[in-house]
Amino acid sequence: MIELIEKIEGEAKLDFRFANDLIDFVEIEFLTARGIENILKNRPAMDALVINPRVCGICGHAHLIATVQALENCYENIEISQKAKIVRELTLNFELIQNHFKWFYLVILPFFGKPQDPKKAVLASSLMAKAIAVLAGQYPHNSYAIVGGITSYITNGDLIKVRSLIDECLMFFHNNLVDADIDEFWICDSIEHIFEKNGDLVDVLMKIIYNNQTDFGKSYDRFIVFGGNSYFKSGKSNKTVVNEHVKFDYVQEELIDKSYAKNVYYKNKSFEVGPLARAMVNKTPLIRDAHRKYGDSIFSRILARMCETAQLLHHSKQLIKMIDQKEPSFIKPKVDIKQISSTGISSVEAARGSLIHNIELIGGNIKNYAIITPTQWNLGCGNKKNLGVAQNAMIGLSSIDEAKLVFKSFDVCSVCTTH
Amino acid sequence: MKPRILWISGISCYGNVHSFLTYTNIDIFLDDFEFIYHPVLDSTYTLTQIVEDVKGCDILLIDGAVADDFMRADKSIKNIIQKYASVVNKIITVGTCATFGGIFQHSSYTGASGVHFKADELQSDFLHLRHKTISISGCPIQPEILVNTLYEIKNNMDIKLDSFLRPKEYFGYTIHNGCTRNEYFEYKVDNHNFGELEGCLYYDYGCQAPYSSGSCNKILWNEVNSKTRSGSPCFGCTEYTFPKIGLFETKKNMGIPENLPLGVPKRAYITIAGVAKAFKIDRLNKKLM
Repeated sequence: MIELIEKIEGEAKLDFRFANDLIDFVEIEFLTARGIENILKNRPAMDALVINPRVCGICGHAHLIATVQALENCYENIEISQKAKIVRELTLNFELIQNHFKWFYLVILPFFGKPQDPKKAVLASSLMAKAIAVLAGQYPHNSYAIVGGITSYITNGDLIKVRSLIDECLMFFHNNLVDADIDEFWICDSIEHIFEKNGDLVDVLMKIIYNNQTDFGKSYDRFIVFGGNSYFKSGKSNKTVVNEHVKFDYVQEELIDKSYAKNVYYKNKSFEVGPLARAMVNKTPLIRDAHRKYGDSIFSRILARMCETAQLLHHSKQLIKMIDQKEPSFIKPKVDIKQISSTGISSVEAARGSLIHNIELIGGNIKNYAIITPTQWNLGCGNKKNLGVAQNAMIGLSSIDEAKLVFKSFDVCSVCTTH
Repeated sequence: MKPRILWISGISCYGNVHSFLTYTNIDIFLDDFEFIYHPVLDSTYTLTQIVEDVKGCDILLIDGAVADDFMRADKSIKNIIQKYASVVNKIITVGTCATFGGIFQHSSYTGASGVHFKADELQSDFLHLRHKTISISGCPIQPEILVNTLYEIKNNMDIKLDSFLRPKEYFGYTIHNGCTRNEYFEYKVDNHNFGELEGCLYYDYGCQAPYSSGSCNKILWNEVNSKTRSGSPCFGCTEYTFPKIGLFETKKNMGIPENLPLGVPKRAYITIAGVAKAFKIDRLNKKLM
């Protein structure tokens, strides 16, 4: 039975096979591919900073940051000021946050008896878009992160504006999602405390329990994070056993016959990426508690993503304090990129999980460019013996509607998957 | 009755969709218009229903490039456009891909292009629809331009268009208009470095603002800023030439930029540049603070 899944930055086809009234196998097919990697070929290296954000309208900034880091990785030595590094991390945090709010109010809420809430989605996400614009010029699609730093100077007024936008967003979280004290929420280690609170997130979590859906969406319970930064640790988590060593060498891509997407494995195994993976590797107390009770189900996945917004807002305020205004935003690289013939690799944590960029330059021009997106990790389509993470998570459910909820709990992005 | 809008995406990154979703008065907008289909927001019909037969519709929004072999819900995008185009009053090409082909004219689809143009070349498939089309270019669009244009259509207001069918109200300006770095351009102070408040990116870093149409420095992005104000060059994303090769470089001939400010003859530019340089304005050669 083939079902067209819409409104996931494009569409995907899910082909469901039932056995004894339960889903026995699902094939995931992504329908379009634009060939971004080919568009980049032979262009001057810096052009990738303009082309790559256009991989995706909702996580394009992660593609920008991954691009600049891949280009800088082509250098043997390159100096980037602490200030530029912090500001890049801030704007990436803000992109994750705007994504999560949109996902919750536009994608998740309708599964729990409420209509979409575009007003709340736009109110919260546009605060973060504005914060990015203050530092980076505009959102979506800026190119302010360049080899050597960032293009913007960053004034006192910019930082004050950004801080007030973060506070406004924290207030939104408190007034709408969970009415907990943010500092308490930050260190909270028991989901029972959350149930005592009110808010749209609490309602959804209660509904999951009330509807008996706490087993929905469990998969391999294996997580991976590549793009460590000042907040996220990189590493992998097998159930709750965390190992901080991950190597790009163990990542393999594999073409799928039918779909335009490619599967991706780490040491031949499927891993989940995204907010739940980041929380498991970071050992976030609240999410570990949810995981202890409900495993890698939609309960933990939804909570992890929304909890991440509060954590990143809180962390971003600390980051702003660390900015030394006297540092330069940009340090001109000693070697012009036109002289560079080399390879570079980078990984950042995008809204949906680890994003990997791999570049080969010859005389400053792009010879090859390869991108592995988060959705490739989560939405891989394997055969019965080697199911992808979301595929595995849908097995055993009794209806297509249930499967859609599980599928969308991964926050699917069609355009990124096939790029 | 609320005007009924169909938003259909061709070969796209959904940047226009998400730029639209930064429009802060979205609830007021959604009270005034009905989306019979939108790629993200809840709408009257599913995509499958939309492509099955033609539903009642007043305005067709197309974002993304189009191509013969590009399908949406197993139907050719060009057929979907043809069907709805005949019933609607207005068509808007949303963004540079739908208008000129943009980045995704270079995608893997055969002959991908904008609805009416591939770069500046007029395309024949939709010639009969030109009279009801408005183009809003930009990669992505500024949400206010799309929303304002939709209200202008709803209120039967007169919309003056340029030769690429773009509303002159927003595309009669150059991006350069309103840039905070204008003085460095006017007086030809050409010693810019990235990461600084001072200086103009036109001379060495590929800024296309003086010869690109749009309102980025008038309306401002996300109500607060623009690329050029924050020290990034304008990449000319509203124009049919987007994306040029070498986006961070200014191509020059004997030290003179190849692309001069819109409408300025080379001879006049050289003369004025020479005079302006002679001013040697001290204030503009110092740090602002």
